[in-house]
Amino acid sequence: MALTALIVLPLFGGIAALLVARLGRNAERWFSIAVLAVALIALIVAWTGGPPPDAPGAQWLALVRYQYAPALGLQFLLAMDGLSGALVAVSIVLGIISVVISWNIRKQSGLFHACILWTVAASNGVFLAMDLLFFAFFWELMLVPSFLLISIWGHGDREAVALKFLVFNAVAGLGLLAAVFYMAATAPEITFDAFVFAEMGIPPLAQVWLLLGFSMAFLTKLPAPPFHAWLPDAHTMAPTAGSILLAGLLLKTGAYGLFRFPGMLFPDGFHVLAPYGLALGAFGTIYGAVLACGQTDAKRLVAYTSIAHMSIVLMGLSGGVHFAMMGAGVEMIAHAFSASALFLLIGALYDRVGTRDLRQLGGLQQTAPRFAAAFAVFFSAALAMPGTANFLGEALVITGMFQVNWFLAAIALVSLVVSVVYATGLLKRIIFGVPSKACVTQDLTWSELAPVIVLATGTLLFGMLPQLLLVVLEPAVDAALAPLVRP
Amino acid sequence: MSPFFALLLVPMPAMGAFLLLGLGPAEFNRRAIQTIALAGATLPAVVMLPLGAYCLMGTCDGIQPIFDLEVGPAVVALALKLDPLSALVGVTVTIIGACVIGYSIDYMAKSEIADLRRYFALMNLFLASMLCMVLAGDSIIFFLGWELMGLCSFFLIAYHVTSARAIAAGRKAFVITRVADAFLLAALLLLFLEAGSVRLDDLIPAGIATDDVRRGLIAALLLAGAMGKSAQLPFHTWLPSAMAGPTPVSALLHSATMVAAGAYLLARLAPLMETVPLVMAVTATVGAATALFGATAAVFQLDVKRLLAYSSISQIGFMLLAIGLGQPEVAIAHFVVHAIFKSLLFLSAGDITQIARGTTDIAAMRGALRARPVAYLAFVAGAASLAGIPFVTGGWFSKEAILASAWLAGPFGIVLWGVALSAAVLTGAYAFRPVLVGLIPVKGARMTFGGVFTNLPILLLAAGTFAIAPLVTPMVEFLDATVPHPPLAVELVGAVAPFVGLALAFAMTFMPRISRRVAQARRMRSGIRIDGVYQIVFVQPFVALVRWLTGQRGSIADPVGTLPVMGAQWLVGAIVRPLAHDPLDRAWAGFASATVRAWGVARHVQSGRVRDYALAIAVGVALLLLLGWGTTWR
Repeated sequence: MALTALIVLPLFGGIAALLVARLGRNAERWFSIAVLAVALIALIVAWTGGPPPDAPGAQWLALVRYQYAPALGLQFLLAMDGLSGALVAVSIVLGIISVVISWNIRKQSGLFHACILWTVAASNGVFLAMDLLFFAFFWELMLVPSFLLISIWGHGDREAVALKFLVFNAVAGLGLLAAVFYMAATAPEITFDAFVFAEMGIPPLAQVWLLLGFSMAFLTKLPAPPFHAWLPDAHTMAPTAGSILLAGLLLKTGAYGLFRFPGMLFPDGFHVLAPYGLALGAFGTIYGAVLACGQTDAKRLVAYTSIAHMSIVLMGLSGGVHFAMMGAGVEMIAHAFSASALFLLIGALYDRVGTRDLRQLGGLQQTAPRFAAAFAVFFSAALAMPGTANFLGEALVITGMFQVNWFLAAIALVSLVVSVVYATGLLKRIIFGVPSKACVTQDLTWSELAPVIVLATGTLLFGMLPQLLLVVLEPAVDAALAPLVRP
Repeated sequence: MSPFFALLLVPMPAMGAFLLLGLGPAEFNRRAIQTIALAGATLPAVVMLPLGAYCLMGTCDGIQPIFDLEVGPAVVALALKLDPLSALVGVTVTIIGACVIGYSIDYMAKSEIADLRRYFALMNLFLASMLCMVLAGDSIIFFLGWELMGLCSFFLIAYHVTSARAIAAGRKAFVITRVADAFLLAALLLLFLEAGSVRLDDLIPAGIATDDVRRGLIAALLLAGAMGKSAQLPFHTWLPSAMAGPTPVSALLHSATMVAAGAYLLARLAPLMETVPLVMAVTATVGAATALFGATAAVFQLDVKRLLAYSSISQIGFMLLAIGLGQPEVAIAHFVVHAIFKSLLFLSAGDITQIARGTTDIAAMRGALRARPVAYLAFVAGAASLAGIPFVTGGWFSKEAILASAWLAGPFGIVLWGVALSAAVLTGAYAFRPVLVGLIPVKGARMTFGGVFTNLPILLLAAGTFAIAPLVTPMVEFLDATVPHPPLAVELVGAVAPFVGLALAFAMTFMPRISRRVAQARRMRSGIRIDGVYQIVFVQPFVALVRWLTGQRGSIADPVGTLPVMGAQWLVGAIVRPLAHDPLDRAWAGFASATVRAWGVARHVQSGRVRDYALAIAVGVALLLLLGWGTTWR
C-alpha cells in the first residue's frame, strides 16, 4: 500500500497542484512540499514494514501486487529493494529541493509544480515497477513533464531542445517496448511480470537481442556516447529545477535499468554484451571528461562531467563483479547529489548575473565567500576526493576493474586525472580571479543554502560513513549478480 | 581504555578548526579567527607529545580501530596506528604545524578578514589531513589524508585568487600530483585485492606473498606515487611554481611536511619495497639524480623561495636515496631534521623579505643582518644545518648517515655516493649564498624586530636545528635500526663538503664575473626546462584535442554525439523528402482524374439518338443470349 502511495501520491498531487495554485500565493509550493513529505513518510513505512511474504527473493523490502487487467496479464506489481529504495529516497529529496529553489518561478506556477511532482511519480514508477508494461509506461511518462519543463520554463532555444530530448528518448524507448512485447508474447501465458520472465528461460540468442532493445533505452537515458547528444542541450536549456531532476533522476533511471534487468532477465545476453558495455563506458568516461575541459558554458561543463561519471557507472555495471557493481550503485547516489548541487549553484549564479558564460564570471571568492565554499565542496566531490561518496563509488569501480581488466582500470584512473583539469578550470573561472563585470554581490540565501547543506551532508555522510549506503545496496547487488555467476 | 584512543584526538582539533572557519555559518572577528586557528594547530601537538613520550617509554605498537566496513567479501577496517615511525613523524608534523600556523598570525595579519579565515581554515585542514596520513593504520585513511593534502595544497597555492600566475601554479601542482596519486591509488587497490583487507599490517605481507610481476608492478606504482608527491625528477616542475603561495604555506606544505610525504610512504611500505631490488635501485638512482639536479638548479636561482624549493627537491632526493639503499630509518631521520631546518629557512626568509618590500628576490636579503637580526641569525642557523656544518647541526648527522649508507652499498653505491657528495657540495654553495648576501651592508637600514608570534616560532625552530643534532642517532635506533659508519676518511670528505660549498658561495656572491654568469644561466634556473617538454608532450596535444572536440578549430563540436544525430537527420531527410509530395495522395488524385477522363469517354454513350439506343439494346440482347447459350456448354 505504501509503495503504491509513492507513485499515486505525486501523480494525483500533481493534478491537484494545478488547482491548488489558484488558492493563493505560494499555495502550490507548500502543497507540493507536503505531498512529497507524505511520500517520504510512505517510503519509510514501506521500508520498515518488514519483508513481504510473497517476495521472490530475500533482497526485496516491500512488494505490492494487484491484478490490474487479468485478461491482458497486466498486474500492478511494485517491488522495492535497497537500490530502488535509495533511489526513491533521492527522487523525493530532489523533488523537495526543486520546489524550494524554484520559489521565484511565477510563470504558470501550478503546471510547473505539477511537472516536478509528475517527474517524481514517473521516476518512482520506474524504480519500483516490476511489471514490465507498467515499467515501460512510466519510462515514457517520465519524458512528458521534463519536456514541458524545458519547453516552457527553459532558456535559449528551448522548444527545439525539448523536442530533441523527446525524440531521442522516445525513439530509444521503442527498443524497450518492443523487447517487452516480445517477451510477453513468448511467455507461456500472457504476462508482463518480470519475475515470470526471469524464470522462463529465454533462449540465449533472443536474450542478446532483447538486451540490446533494453540497452537502447537505458544507454540513451544514461547517457553513454554516442547516444548522449540530447543531454548537454537539455541540461543547459532547462530551468534549474529541470536540470536537477534530469541529472539526479532521469539519468539514474537508465543506470537503474542496467542494474536491475540484465542480470535478472538476460544473464546469457549479459555475458555477450558486457565487453561492449565496458568499452563504451571506458570511452565515455574519457570522452566526457575531455569535452568538459573545453566548455565555456558552466552548465554544459557539468553536463559533460555527468557523461563522464555515468560512464564510470556503466563500467561498473558491465563489470559483473561485486566491487564494480557496488561502486556503480554508490556512484549513482553520489552523482545524484553532487551533480544536482552543481546545477543548483550554477542556477543560483545565473539568477544573479544572467550569464553562465565562464569567460564572464569570476571573483566569487571575494564577493560571495559562502557561495565559493559551496562550490569548493562539490568541486571536491566532482573530482572524487576521498571523504566524498563519489570517491567511494569510483574507487570501488576501479577495484572491480582491476579484477576484470587492468587496462580498463587504467582508463578509469586517467579519467580521475582529467577530472582535476575540468574541475580546477571551473573553479578558476567562477570563484577565482578578479570580480568581473558580472560580479555577484549577494551571497547564497538561506533558501538556497539549505538544499546545498542537505546535498553536502549526503555527499559527505556517505563518504565518511559508507556503511550506511553499503548495507542497503549489498543485497541488491548480490541478487543482481547471482544469475550472472556461471555454473 | 587503551592509550591509543588518544590517537583519535590528534587530528580532531585541527579538523574542528577547519569546520568552524571553513564551513561554519557564523561570523568571526579577526581575533576569534586567530584564536581558533591557533588552538586547532597547537592542540594536536599537546596530544601528540605525550603519545610520543608513551611510545618512548612503553611498548609502542598499537592500533586504534575507528570502524569496520563490509564490502561484500572484504572487511575494510579503518584504524589509526601508533608505532615508532608514525610517532616520530607525528610529533614532528604537529610541532612544525603549530610553529608555522603561529607564525602566520603575524605574517598574514594584513589580509582581509575573509581571506584570513579561508587561509587558516585550509591550513588547519591541511594539518588534520597530514596527521591522518601519518597516523593511518589502513590504506583508506592514508589515501584520504594524502588526497586532502593535495586539495589544500591547490587552494593554498592559489591563495592570491586574483593572481593568474598563482592559480595556474595551483592547477599545475594539482594535476601533476594527481597523476602520481592515480599511481598510488592503483597500487593501494591492487594490494587491497591481494590482501582482502586495508590494514597496512596486512597489505605488506600480502604484497610480499604475491607473484613477482604483480609485486614489481605494485612497488613501481608506489614509487611513482611517491615521486609525484615529493616532486622528484621528472615530476618536480610543480614545486618551484608552487612558491606562488604565501611563505608560511611554502614552509609547511611545500617543504617540510607534504612534499616529504612520498618518503614517508616509501618508508611505511619499506618491507614490501625491499623485496623488489630493481625498484629499489631505481629509487636510489632517482633520489641521487634528483639530489644533484635540485642542488644544481638551486645554485642558479635568483629568488630565495625558488632556491629553497629546489633545495627541498634535492633534500627529498637524499631521503629517497636512503630508502633505495635499504635505510628507510635514516631517511626518516633526515625527514625530521629537514622539516625543522627547512621550515626555519622559509619562515626566517619570509620575515626578512616581507620587510624588504615583499619581493622574494635574493637581493632582498641585503643588509638583513642589520635590518632584521633575529630572523637573519635564525636563517644562518637553518642554512648551516642545510649545508651540513659538521658536529653542531642536525643536517650533518643525517646527511652523513645517508652518504655512509651509499658508500657501504657496493660498487654502485660508491657511484651514488659520488653523486650525493657533489650534491652536498652544491648544497653548501646555495645554502650560504643568501647568507652572504645578507652580510652586504645597505645604507640607511634600520634595525627592526618582529612581533612575538614571528620570533617565537623562529627561535624555537632555530634551537631545534641544533638540539636535534645529538638526537639523530637515537632517532634511528628508536626506529629499530643502526646508523651506518663508513671509514673515517670518507666521513671526513663528507665533513669538508659544506666548506667547499661555502667557498663557492663566496665566489658567487663577491666575484662579479661569476655572479654575472650565474645570473645569465637561464636554462639551469628553469630546471632544465622540463616544463617546456611537458608543454609540448602533454599540455599542447591535450589542449588541441579539447579544442578540436569542442569545435574551436572549425571542426564539429562533440563529434561522437553530433555525427549520429546528423546521420539520423540525413536519413530521415532522405526518406521524408521523396514522401513530402505524398505518392499515395498522388495515386488517389490520379484515380480521380482517371475517373473524370473515363466519364469524358463514357458520356458519348448517352447520345440521345434512338437508333444508337436500339443498336445498343440489340447488341446487349445478343450478348445475353450468347452468354446464356455459353453457360449450357459442358
